[in-house]
Amino acid sequence: MPAVWLVEDTRGGPGTQEVRACGRALGGNCRVALLEEERLGPYAPGLYAEALHALIAQGDGEDPERPIVVLLPHTYQSAEYAPRLAVRLGAAYIASVSGASLDDDGGLRFRRSIFQARLRADVRPKKRTVVATVQVGAFGGAGPAPSPHDVFEVGRPADIEEHQEREILGREAASGGGVDLASAERIVTAGRGVGGPDEVSVAADLAAALDAELGASRPVVDNGWLPREHQVGSSGHIVTPNLYVALGVSGSIQHLMGMSGSRIIVAINKDPEAPIFSVAHYGIVADLHDVAPALTRLLKARRQSA
Amino acid sequence: MRIGVCIKQVPDTDSHLRIADSGRGVDDSNLNWVISSCDLCALEEALLLAEAEVARGAERPELVVFSLGPARVEEALRKALALGVDRALHLVDEALQGGDAIADGRALAAALAGERCDLVLTGAQSDDLGQAATPAVIAAILSCPYAWLVMAVELDSRSKSLRIVRELEGGMNEVLGLELPALLAIQAGINRPRFASLRGTLQARKKPLRREDCSGLGVDPGLVGAAGAGIEIEAVSLPPAGAGGVVIDGASAEAAAGELIAHLEREAVL
Repeated sequence: MPAVWLVEDTRGGPGTQEVRACGRALGGNCRVALLEEERLGPYAPGLYAEALHALIAQGDGEDPERPIVVLLPHTYQSAEYAPRLAVRLGAAYIASVSGASLDDDGGLRFRRSIFQARLRADVRPKKRTVVATVQVGAFGGAGPAPSPHDVFEVGRPADIEEHQEREILGREAASGGGVDLASAERIVTAGRGVGGPDEVSVAADLAAALDAELGASRPVVDNGWLPREHQVGSSGHIVTPNLYVALGVSGSIQHLMGMSGSRIIVAINKDPEAPIFSVAHYGIVADLHDVAPALTRLLKARRQSA
Repeated sequence: MRIGVCIKQVPDTDSHLRIADSGRGVDDSNLNWVISSCDLCALEEALLLAEAEVARGAERPELVVFSLGPARVEEALRKALALGVDRALHLVDEALQGGDAIADGRALAAALAGERCDLVLTGAQSDDLGQAATPAVIAAILSCPYAWLVMAVELDSRSKSLRIVRELEGGMNEVLGLELPALLAIQAGINRPRFASLRGTLQARKKPLRREDCSGLGVDPGLVGAAGAGIEIEAVSLPPAGAGGVVIDGASAEAAAGELIAHLEREAVL
């Protein structure tokens, strides 16, 4: 059974439960490396990687052949420095895992999505030490909270340079307001499949007929077809409406993380292999430019007759 | 001032992906290969930074593009040259094949160190394996300041510093100051990549493209490629089809729309 380090912060930030559940799937012999900003100083990737390296590399006098697994949540902070930690530990690195298992002979297996969630891969580490980030939202169920004597506080390494590798100048909202996705009861989201800036109206018309807010997938925003405040996904809004209609959205992991908690999910997409169908309650494999206008017409007629 | 850009050639995301007979990867016999989307944004950002330097009267930085992979990768490098990059370095060697992010990062770091770049840009994540790790690995080996998911870059070449905006979760951004030399992993959406002009494409044929193997890079063949990789893909599979969802026949748009509305009425969401 591997020795597992769970990297947590004092705020119990996103992914803490998933990291614990992953640790349990790997045998449950877990210790916590606790990151405290007061002790470490302001976050910088090099600092956090070096500090964790100093704690984990000191070893514990145990069997030197025994595998070591270091688990971090796949967040915008820890996924930034986790590869550096792997380099420093001479470890294998596996990003955003959604599954982990232990063979009868002690071999480790991790599952992760590849090709933008179109395929998934089972990955085997070839090194004794593994650093893996755990997909937030994967691993259902909470892992047990580790007992306090298994918690190790991560200290500032003595040999770290005082010179700051980067300076935090401030924080800002990524976009202006005006779109209330977070509290919307219904959302219609335009994906790349709508085709272009002039065709976003097909989604806007359906949103109006449903009395819904208009959402957008990342490519739609990146291409400038809709402003960033419409963006649904882990880098935009996390939404949980009663009804979520995805038009031409393929369904990247980040998008699914942002909307899979919706009560009823409808997906309309030409591509039957689109990952969005894996979370949809109702799926129509068809050209959205045929189905969405038909839906809009029927909904308008239904409203007039009501 | 020299800006390096690392790019990866990947299958077009719209390609139909077929699992290879070995079950361990994608059948690459019939794919359309392109520059990974974030890497294209990194190239565009380098071109914009060079143009901004010229616009304020400074010397234009030299732009160098790097890519690791087999012979087909030369097409991606020519495309970067056609977009306006000055020269290209192709890391090509049988021993470099089959690497993971750590093995590839090691080879790229050796190439970048040899060219002494002041600023290195890469994409934040590749469209194929998507480990989002190669830039952090390069920065760790070069031991330079690093930021991932960069959404805006301002370069001050006089003070050798950068002011950048980095994406955080939940619609927030962080503004950071970094000193050069530094490495930035560029997030999709930072800019809209240009298309190559005909003139650029013609010029690209004459621009220098250098090939380097392991000995030229000074890397141990045992630490790069498949031999240096820390992970191995054992099996590739399709994700499970719909989690018990209802599939509505899409042959007739009108009928499908009517059937969906009936379902939504029953679910009491209309």
